[in-house]
Amino acid sequence: MSVTSPALPDVLPPIRRRGRLRTLIRRNPTIAMGAALLGVVVFIAIFAPWLGTVDPTALAPAKRIRPPSEIYWFGTDMLGRDVYSRVMFGARVSLIVGFAVALLSSAIGTFIGVVSGYVRWLDSVIMRVMDGLMSIPPILLAIALMALTRGSVQNVIIAISVAETPRVARLIRGVVLSLREQPYVEAAIASGTRVPKIIWRHILPNTIAPLTVQATYICASAMITEAILSFIGAGTPPTVPSWGNIMAEGRALWQVKPYIVFFPAVFLSVTVLAVNLLGDGLRDALDPRLAKRL
Amino acid sequence: MLAYAVRRILATIPVMLIVALFVFSLLYIAPGDPAAIIAGDQASVADVERIRASLGLDQPFVVRFGGWLWRILHGDLGTSIFTNLPVTQMIAQRIEPTLSLMIATLIFSLVCAIPMGVIAAWKHGTWIDRGVMILAVFGFSVPVFVVGYLLAYVFALQLNWLPVQGFTPLSRGFWPFLSNLILPTLALGGVYIALIARITRATMMEVLSQDYIRTARAKGVGQHAILFVHALKNAAVPIVTVVGLGVALLIGGAVVTESVFAIPGLGRLTVDAILRRDYPVIQGVVLLFSFMYVLVNLAVDLLYTLFDPRIRY
Repeated sequence: MSVTSPALPDVLPPIRRRGRLRTLIRRNPTIAMGAALLGVVVFIAIFAPWLGTVDPTALAPAKRIRPPSEIYWFGTDMLGRDVYSRVMFGARVSLIVGFAVALLSSAIGTFIGVVSGYVRWLDSVIMRVMDGLMSIPPILLAIALMALTRGSVQNVIIAISVAETPRVARLIRGVVLSLREQPYVEAAIASGTRVPKIIWRHILPNTIAPLTVQATYICASAMITEAILSFIGAGTPPTVPSWGNIMAEGRALWQVKPYIVFFPAVFLSVTVLAVNLLGDGLRDALDPRLAKRL
Repeated sequence: MLAYAVRRILATIPVMLIVALFVFSLLYIAPGDPAAIIAGDQASVADVERIRASLGLDQPFVVRFGGWLWRILHGDLGTSIFTNLPVTQMIAQRIEPTLSLMIATLIFSLVCAIPMGVIAAWKHGTWIDRGVMILAVFGFSVPVFVVGYLLAYVFALQLNWLPVQGFTPLSRGFWPFLSNLILPTLALGGVYIALIARITRATMMEVLSQDYIRTARAKGVGQHAILFVHALKNAAVPIVTVVGLGVALLIGGAVVTESVFAIPGLGRLTVDAILRRDYPVIQGVVLLFSFMYVLVNLAVDLLYTLFDPRIRY
């Protein structure tokens, strides 16, 4: 004789499983919005050659300064180049500069900050140098460095990184100094953990949250700085289709042909807005203490 | 207090020295040989050497840095390679537009941003607050030259209300001076307003949640007096700090704004100097702006005690 257990009725309603994406959007609308906008720009940058573009540097003097039309969506510039293609390819320059500066200045700034926070006798020297660099307004510092070298994307990245690094170093040093006093770090020291391991295992993981937020803002400001440098003729060489360069070329004609300046300006603003939204969202999500303050 | 002020002033000296060292290195490692440029194409090697020795360019780095610093302390910033004029003279000719633009922007931004931040904190969580915060994000994101072109297009080209470009000195009358300054000020103010409004809102929210505000309310103090007398005074220190730090944005932005609006100021001077690789001028401008920035923040530090008598040094 076998006993079968009676089938239990479903008392509880089935748990509605919300998609993870939807949860993310509901909890962090700013992150979602920033990421979506940035995603579009990244898509444009990667797939620029397949978005109905032509060679962004191809000259066509016969088709100069055509207004936006079916063939030339954003019109053509003084040299007959297709503004639409130039703007699409320009996304690459802005994103590369933004991301590269964020990575480079985060890496160098973290290194300097950790050294400064850990090596007492070096601290005051390093921090005075950082104070000195920080008292030169960042755009001016980048301009001064660019005046020394030839204009190239690589040099622009280096110049802006130098200008942004002191801020990261400051931030990381502050975090390191406060973490050093934490009981768990003292426990690690007491149990004989070596300094490199303490830094790697106990200090660095705790810098990730503030560093991510800071790096996002640096990315946004680097994009603006790159555009400014190119706009005033101290940035990427004129042959590179960057948004700043397109605007610089449209400058002479902007009163009669405003669209040459208009389109790169819109794309630049939207991209920076996307990164800033991402930064604000990440700040609220990762660093509630800071979020309350700002 | 006096001891603190003296200490704080002395502390700016090493910072300025580092700035000077950096700016000097700029010229030191700059490509191109000034002696060869001065000597011209026809000069022999011996001539170039003679000029180099007479300029002291054959001296070691430290000696040259010392001499350069000594001349700067005596108000000599060197001579422009391009125009052959003293850099101090070139700066003096161009400083009025830049200072006018920066001071106008500073006043305009404070007048806009502080009430915006105060009201956003007061109406925290409402659509007014959200509106101010959205405006702030836009202020941070839309670059100054984009705002500049947009304003010039709408208000100067389309509506014809204000001049498109240029600058009129104050000596030629107040209205011509102001009308040329309005659009650049609005353009340059964007980021600065965003920055100040945000910090004002944050600090005010913190202050408004404190007990003495509740006490003032219970006592029957009017809303207006609570916000602008009781709370704002206590929120002043962080706000003033950010106002001081934000001057860096103002300086960087002025360079661009002057390019957009064809204002013959220090920003234009810098841009022209870059295009001509006129290093002494670049040096002079960077040094001057950095000095200004350090002084502003020194003043801010010294102002703290005025806003908050609890701070004693």
